[in-house]
Amino acid sequence: MSTVLVVGLGEVGVRTARQLIDTPGIDRVIVASRRLEHARDVASALHDGAEPLQLGRDDPLPSGIDVIASALPSDVDPGLARRAVAAGVPYASSADRDATLGALLALDADARARGTRVVAGCGLAPGLADVLARHAVGALDSVDELHVARWGVAGAESAAEARRALREPAHEWRDGELVHEKHRHAELIWYPDPVGARECELVATGVELLVAANPGAGRITSRLGLPPNRRLVPPARRDPSAQWGAVRVEAWGWRGTARTSVVYGVIERTGVAAGTVLGVTGAWLAGALPTVASAPEPGAAGLGAVIEPVAFLAELARRGVKAAAFEGVAIA
Amino acid sequence: MKAFQRGLLVAAIAALVSVVVRVRSKGPVPPSSGGGWRELQGPDFR
Repeated sequence: MSTVLVVGLGEVGVRTARQLIDTPGIDRVIVASRRLEHARDVASALHDGAEPLQLGRDDPLPSGIDVIASALPSDVDPGLARRAVAAGVPYASSADRDATLGALLALDADARARGTRVVAGCGLAPGLADVLARHAVGALDSVDELHVARWGVAGAESAAEARRALREPAHEWRDGELVHEKHRHAELIWYPDPVGARECELVATGVELLVAANPGAGRITSRLGLPPNRRLVPPARRDPSAQWGAVRVEAWGWRGTARTSVVYGVIERTGVAAGTVLGVTGAWLAGALPTVASAPEPGAAGLGAVIEPVAFLAELARRGVKAAAFEGVAIA
Repeated sequence: MKAFQRGLLVAAIAALVSVVVRVRSKGPVPPSSGGGWRELQGPDFR
């Protein structure tokens, strides 16, 4: 009997719970919030397929939990991860703040000692973008450059986190070291329609996870674009595609003697895509989806480093989150 | 003095027009490459 605790009931957490409820092999889903009323509302919206639980920052974890899937804000996520590791419970997180990703990876030694697994970056980017990056790199004999971009947010908390990422120093991986980029070099990134071309800026978010999962790439960049705040845009000028989220992954390298590129993209509601990625990862950690990766080994790592990209993407496609390949001539 | 005021008025109108034109001219962006997106299907997952 597998029991998964879903914590952080915003746009991502609710979709995560939905995905877990719909996964054969997951017998019990508990949705936890600081406010019991909110957890009850979410459980009710899920047609009572989940059990509500009040879980404050200092409350003990309930017993009998096999996995925790966390969609908590980045500032409180590492605290719960430490408690999960201490209790020997596998932990998957969709937090995307660079410092939070670092804090989760820093739990590696503790997770190994406790024989449990922490998977960081299980959202849209980092998350699905890392899976696509692995898939793109796997299609090449050798990879030179890897460029990842995301457009879109999942709710107010996610938007605040994205604005923070755009304020923080940008980094890129270049020739074996992390380089601080003083200029963000805003660039037009081409996502699948209806998102289309969007201006995205260099950020540090997820670069280190991409480096760990794709050690052969000489240059790795991460870009982020943020839709305008709806309240600040007059109704007549609102962009109907602003509610979508998108990722684009572009890998350049060699296939035989030819230098070529592989470009993958996804568009989906940001909360739906991130919730599905977190749900599938949680189900895998619980042993309900053994095909998406080999059995979880103790330690802490990013999603891209632990999954089998083809099987993971096939599982996402089965759940409605479908990737696309760009066929044509990309501009380097 | 009157000429100076007229100059200021003309400059203000020109600035206003340039702002309006700049805001309204954000049309579709030309594609940067030839090609299109193809959904990944079963064979791509084998």
